[in-house]
Amino acid sequence: MTVPDTMEGAYILSVIDFLLSFVIIWGMSLVLYIFPYLNKLGHLDDSKLRGGH
Amino acid sequence: MFQQILSLMVNLAEQTGLAQIWWGNIFMIFVGAILVYLALYRKYEPFLLLGIGFSCIVANVPGSDLTQPGGLFYYAYQGVELVIIPPLIFLGVGAMTDFGPMIANPSLMILGAAAHLGIFIALIGAKALGFTLAEAGAIGIIGGADGPMAIFVTMKLAPHLLPQIAVAAYSYMALMPLIQPPIMKLLTSPAERQIVMVQSRKVSRLEKICFPFVMAIIVNLLLPPVAPLITMLMLGNMLREVLLVDRLASTAANDLMNVITITLTVAVGSTMEADKFLNIKTLQIIVLGLIAFIGGTASGVIGAKIMNWFSGGKINPLIGSAGIASVPIAARVSHVVGLQENPYNFLIMHAMGPNLAGVFGTAISGGIMLALIGVK
Repeated sequence: MTVPDTMEGAYILSVIDFLLSFVIIWGMSLVLYIFPYLNKLGHLDDSKLRGGH
Repeated sequence: MFQQILSLMVNLAEQTGLAQIWWGNIFMIFVGAILVYLALYRKYEPFLLLGIGFSCIVANVPGSDLTQPGGLFYYAYQGVELVIIPPLIFLGVGAMTDFGPMIANPSLMILGAAAHLGIFIALIGAKALGFTLAEAGAIGIIGGADGPMAIFVTMKLAPHLLPQIAVAAYSYMALMPLIQPPIMKLLTSPAERQIVMVQSRKVSRLEKICFPFVMAIIVNLLLPPVAPLITMLMLGNMLREVLLVDRLASTAANDLMNVITITLTVAVGSTMEADKFLNIKTLQIIVLGLIAFIGGTASGVIGAKIMNWFSGGKINPLIGSAGIASVPIAARVSHVVGLQENPYNFLIMHAMGPNLAGVFGTAISGGIMLALIGVK
């Protein structure tokens, strides 16, 4: 089912899209909150990476 | 014999552009000249506006077949029409961009959604003016302030509106230093503009390498309609962050990006032919695009003000407008407006977080829009 091509459809599309954008971005930010814990897995040295190990 | 020569001369004259020129061509040549002027003398996004302005002028000189099948501009446009150029631009953007500021401060990501209210103001406005919902969606996405995404969504929803939408999107992005500051100043107090933000944490190499993989998986999983663009953005970023393939990252960020920029600007400018461009719909789209940019800037600043209240005065509301995307122009505008109030307040890195989140925000809005309208 798709949004009807009417003025009401434009309102519905806008409300759903705007709110869902917040939810998805918020979800992405939650994932990024976990990122500092990755550092517990180890450390990558920039100079070693550049030199190809 | 004299008559024969005269007849040949008339025939020759009829084959030149002079016989076909009309006031619309002259008007569009003037428009192209304004774009070149803005790039040359005002330094507004010369990488984009010079190519667009030049090809707009050439496309409106009758007689040339550059924009017809067989002409070089026509083939440049095929890169846009076949949606090849936007993902390649995202590859280059990814290879140029450090997502560290966004990873370091995830709480500011929400501004990447807040600053997109303009999309929906323009969408509703376009529908009220009689555009179809698909056309209105394409017009609304101008407010995402993301050129490649605007082209991508427009090609899916309303390809016939591409010239107007591409020109509006790129022109307003170039004019952001003029459009945004008055709105930002109107919605904030001098005290708010002087807020100095705490420096963000340092992001490790491991985090930066994991980021493109995680985001590519999330976007492909949740937003398949816009996955080609974000996937390429993340591919470019991965090439940059692994540090092992400097040559590839450098090619994506420099040589390839330069070639694609030339092709894109020529393609966009060459669509600005007077007979296609000069109509009431163009005027409506230009006005709606401006409304979208103003609405997005305002909603971003208001979103940042709300976050500032909740954080106890730790967030400078000027960074909210950067959530509109247009990396890094919008972040630079936040920084410059902040500097005007306090010459020791460097907001650029803080504004880059919402600015980069704005790229994802536009992709998310576009993806949801395509899914709801039923376009794959």
